[in-house]
Amino acid sequence: MLDCRMTFVSGKGGVGKSAVTASLALQAARRGQQVLVVGMVEGIGAASHLATERLDYTAHQVRSGIDGLAVNRSDALDEYLRLQLHVPRAAPTKVLSRALSVLAETAPGVREIVTIGKPVYEMWQANYDLILVDAPPLGQLFSYLRAPTTIADLVPAGPIRAQAERMSGALADPEATSLILVVTPEELPVLETQATLDRLDAEPVITLAGIVANRILPPLGLSAEQIAGLPDGSHRAAAQHHRAVQDQQERWLNELPDGPRLPYLFGIHTPGEVAEQLADLWDDQL
Amino acid sequence: MSTQVLVVTGAGGVGKTTLSAALGVTAARRGLRTCVMTVDPARRLADALGLESLDNHPEPVAAQPGLAAAMLDVTASWEAMVHRHAEPEIARRLLDDPFFRALADRFPAAQAYAAGEQMAEHIESHRWDLVVVDTPPAGGGLDFYTAPGRMRELIGGRLLRWLTGASIPGRRALYKVTARPALRLADVVLGGPLLEEIADFLMDLRSLYDGISRRASAIENHLGEATSIVVTTANPTPLREARRFFEELENGRPTTVVFNKQLPETWTDRASLRGVDLDPDTRAATRDNLARWASEVRLQHEIKQEFVARYGLQLLEVPWADTAPTSVDLLADLLEQAPDLVAKVIAEPNSDHG
Repeated sequence: MLDCRMTFVSGKGGVGKSAVTASLALQAARRGQQVLVVGMVEGIGAASHLATERLDYTAHQVRSGIDGLAVNRSDALDEYLRLQLHVPRAAPTKVLSRALSVLAETAPGVREIVTIGKPVYEMWQANYDLILVDAPPLGQLFSYLRAPTTIADLVPAGPIRAQAERMSGALADPEATSLILVVTPEELPVLETQATLDRLDAEPVITLAGIVANRILPPLGLSAEQIAGLPDGSHRAAAQHHRAVQDQQERWLNELPDGPRLPYLFGIHTPGEVAEQLADLWDDQL
Repeated sequence: MSTQVLVVTGAGGVGKTTLSAALGVTAARRGLRTCVMTVDPARRLADALGLESLDNHPEPVAAQPGLAAAMLDVTASWEAMVHRHAEPEIARRLLDDPFFRALADRFPAAQAYAAGEQMAEHIESHRWDLVVVDTPPAGGGLDFYTAPGRMRELIGGRLLRWLTGASIPGRRALYKVTARPALRLADVVLGGPLLEEIADFLMDLRSLYDGISRRASAIENHLGEATSIVVTTANPTPLREARRFFEELENGRPTTVVFNKQLPETWTDRASLRGVDLDPDTRAATRDNLARWASEVRLQHEIKQEFVARYGLQLLEVPWADTAPTSVDLLADLLEQAPDLVAKVIAEPNSDHG
């Protein structure tokens, strides 16, 4: 699942995509890869799972073998102008970036292309073996992935268009870029994931590397009859609860294609611990 | 009587929509004329409320007398907003403009602002004793509170002032785009006639400023008078979002935080197999399972205590329901088990001698 140079990790909000991103980074680093983690929306998600305060726009080392950065829009806009569009130094950059800020608030795709441009640019720089992107949640994912196409449709010619076309090529190249979707076996996350799969079929803007089902309960080891035979009290209540949640999980897992499964982690609360435990589990699953 | 408002907010996936519906059913059963405004209900919840084809207009819930439900339609709300605040010709132009449609789809506060507009409409209709507002999850629910200000900033803010060259232009002054030379230069560098085109659109948008600014203030006033209920689970991600209400919101700090999906504290009691004859495998599996869930209960307990102590809150909890409520009765049952919450947020109907 980590064979590409850059992998986006997305999912419905709250399913644990930042934790999964961090765990994949830890796993890849253990295998000796040099990894960059990019927080695309806000710095806190993946950062807290890598036990660091926050991530800045400039990459810095957060663990041995792992660098991290978080995209913020104004820095990304400046960098997009200078490094991607090669706006000459002599140009009135301040006026340009103000004008582009107006554009970024209103025109479709501009904010998104500037944001997604950062990880793509880092991939082109080729300083890392693997770039893992803690991507926006499913509801916003396509507006980012499609941004280069949107821009290319909007701008008839010139450097913005050329750069947009190069970027959509890189995102669609299965050797370069892939997408991992994280899901929990519940109604809304599964339905949103299915809708995303349909959309990917219709618009193959990126290659799906896998669907990770997160927070799967372990087998209970008790039949319905055995549970019913337990005396009234906490043991029976907890067993019934486990069973009921598990039935729901089974029902929703059946709606999804097969993929790696990560267990529910009982009684663990620091984000750092969660990522470490999940990273251990990837030893068997990748 | 005046309308009481409950704003139910919090991160995605904590059960806000279900809880909003449950509060609506409970209030209606106490005799309050109640309107629940939902954002994006799960299918089964929508079925429970009979929300098959709902929109911004509240419809009576057949299964529950006294309760009506509406579902947020962002596009329709934005269109209504333009018609309300723009001159007819500008309104037509804006609604046809691809930039405007993109703005309604993508401006981060667009959905949250539309929800605020709808909330204000339901309150101002004076048809309800209670309006329950289920908020969009963007920004952990915080966007709902900041959206009116962000809307004002978008339409009257720094960037548009730079373009129009006046602090707040009268409608007559709008033909003047002082930044046009800079935009033209930018277009030359970028290779397209983008920014000049967009400037015209932004001038039209700017003409909405007075209306939207007044409306945004009205929404902020309603928010100031509403009871804010932050819903969270005892998990780190939603809790971090809940914390932002206390760290980042200057006015309207919530006083009510509800921990949803809570496991029974009695599960830390391991005595229930004592003296019972079971085969060793069953006993081991049963014990292991209780131990797992008990560790989750202890963790939840620790997290909740720390949170309520830090912000000086009453601990309010709603138990974990094994299956999602699929009828108004099951929605009411959910809150039967949370009497403290109901007592705190739902006022008794006015008594006759009052």
